[in-house]
Amino acid sequence: MPFDAMNDVPDDALLVLYANGDADAARALTMRLTPMVLGYAARLLNDAAEAEDVAQEAMLRLWKIAPGWRQGEARVTTWLYRVVSNLCTDRLRKKRGVALEAVPEPVDDRPSAPDAMIEAERAAALQAALATLPERQRQAVVLRHIEGATNPEIAQILEISVEAVESLTARGKRALAAALAGRRAELGYQDDG
Amino acid sequence: MTDKQDEFGLNAYFDAARKAAKVPSGDLMACVLADAGAQQPKRGAPAPAAQAGLFASLWAAIGGWPTVAGMATATLVGVWIGISPPAQVEQFSAAVLGDTGDAYLVDLLPAFGDEFGEG
Repeated sequence: MPFDAMNDVPDDALLVLYANGDADAARALTMRLTPMVLGYAARLLNDAAEAEDVAQEAMLRLWKIAPGWRQGEARVTTWLYRVVSNLCTDRLRKKRGVALEAVPEPVDDRPSAPDAMIEAERAAALQAALATLPERQRQAVVLRHIEGATNPEIAQILEISVEAVESLTARGKRALAAALAGRRAELGYQDDG
Repeated sequence: MTDKQDEFGLNAYFDAARKAAKVPSGDLMACVLADAGAQQPKRGAPAPAAQAGLFASLWAAIGGWPTVAGMATATLVGVWIGISPPAQVEQFSAAVLGDTGDAYLVDLLPAFGDEFGEG
């Protein structure tokens, strides 16, 4: 199948094509899923190099599981998010105690900036605030509000109930709001609570 | 997904985070593709040979299908001769064993009857 024609092919069908030896399917899956996996890992780990390692490892696991993948049983993205969550949890456990000191604080002594700069600072401020959340809250908030997963999907990814997901995201957002409260005025939120 | 009510005023932060999504480097994409190539089953490659089990080993030891076919034929011929013996077989058995119509009663322990009788 030509590479361009694969844009509309679902992930699990591409995985079956990959397992059947289709090189274009490998390229299509790499282009489609690596940015997603890397983005999620980077938000959980707050470390670019480690996030790249996790992304490569998660994709490697996907290639290995491809021949045994049962189409229609689970979504490929759900499976990948779960693998990344677990890999990140392992890494964070290993370096716990160092992590908080390593969190880069957003630069706050810049002069008033154009919109793009404010956007970048908001993203950096959120990232720094996310790093202060307990791991499960961070995973749930990132999946729900940045990755755009639904609560039932998050429940599958984190292997918890939908009610637990709702509780985690609610507590996570409250903690984020508290962490960001001191920076809101600087980042163009004079009008918000 | 954006929080519709935006109770905590976080939506602009989430939007900014989505726009600031990290883009994979060329090196990472190349590594992932290289892994994909290394792990990918080759198109049309034969399935890996299964490890021979105990039954398969025994089967091979006795010679496989040719041997079993010979044994099965011999068995069926034997059964058929038993059910419907040809005339030559009957003549042969009559010559060797005598009249096959006779029945013999053999008392292996003739003394037992007396002992039971005596109590």
